[in-house]
Amino acid sequence: MPVPHTHPVPAAEEYRDLRAKLGHKRIGIVGCGGLGSNAAWMLVRSGIGSLVLADHDLVEESNLDRQFFFRDQIGLPKTEALATNLTRIDPAVRLELFQAHIDEQNFAEIFSGIDLLIEAVDSAHDKAMLVAVSSELLPGVPIVSASGLAGYGSTNDIITRHLMGNLWMVGDLVSEVSAEHPLFASRVCVAAGHEAHMAIRILLGYPEA
Amino acid sequence: MRIQLALFASLTQYLPETENGNRLSAHAQLVDLPDGMTVGQVIDRLGLPDEPRIVFVNNRHAPDEYVLDEGERLAVFPPVAGG
Repeated sequence: MPVPHTHPVPAAEEYRDLRAKLGHKRIGIVGCGGLGSNAAWMLVRSGIGSLVLADHDLVEESNLDRQFFFRDQIGLPKTEALATNLTRIDPAVRLELFQAHIDEQNFAEIFSGIDLLIEAVDSAHDKAMLVAVSSELLPGVPIVSASGLAGYGSTNDIITRHLMGNLWMVGDLVSEVSAEHPLFASRVCVAAGHEAHMAIRILLGYPEA
Repeated sequence: MRIQLALFASLTQYLPETENGNRLSAHAQLVDLPDGMTVGQVIDRLGLPDEPRIVFVNNRHAPDEYVLDEGERLAVFPPVAGG
């Protein structure tokens, strides 16, 4: 027995137009861990055409509890392993990989020309540095950042805010990672989903959080 | 000079005591400061903890040496680790 639709289904043509628009966009992702690797697959599945991926780390066994990698990828650079997995979703996605720690010295060279930056690093110091550097070197480029996603607090506390200027902030703002507040895949992926979806909204012309 | 000061998340508690009329929102208010103060001097005066922070003036990153002017908006956000 068919179940009736309760929501209007977008016309196929409209959906194609939206994906075509996203297909021309190029997003930079700094950090390919819990936030970055999961935001990346959401963006690729949503039709984003190009990603610039940067991370200096290798895949470790301890990453498999929340990051978009597999056991046979342990020891590979995260950028390379992520590229393999994203290409399995969409072989046509354009990927630029940088196995590097991003700082004020190499930021502009790697990320110039992007339409939007997703901050997906771990340390608070690097988060602050990246927002400052991006704001200085790529003024006008929207930044979607995250702060406060650790622990077992409610996922309903994780929201997206348009914080200031061209900066959007995802998270509960206070839950710092620690031994008592580890990172759970479920909560990290909620934050990654917020980052990916805010990026999509901004690129489609809907900047309201 | 009078500026708008916004302190987010755990920093909201460092907003100075003020009259209700100066309060703009839960995390922002108008504050009176001596002319010519830098961002770093305001942060010291408020007693903000020495932790990583995102600092914007008028919607763009500003270094500690930035000299504030009448009517500008100083916003400080403290990111926490996890990603």
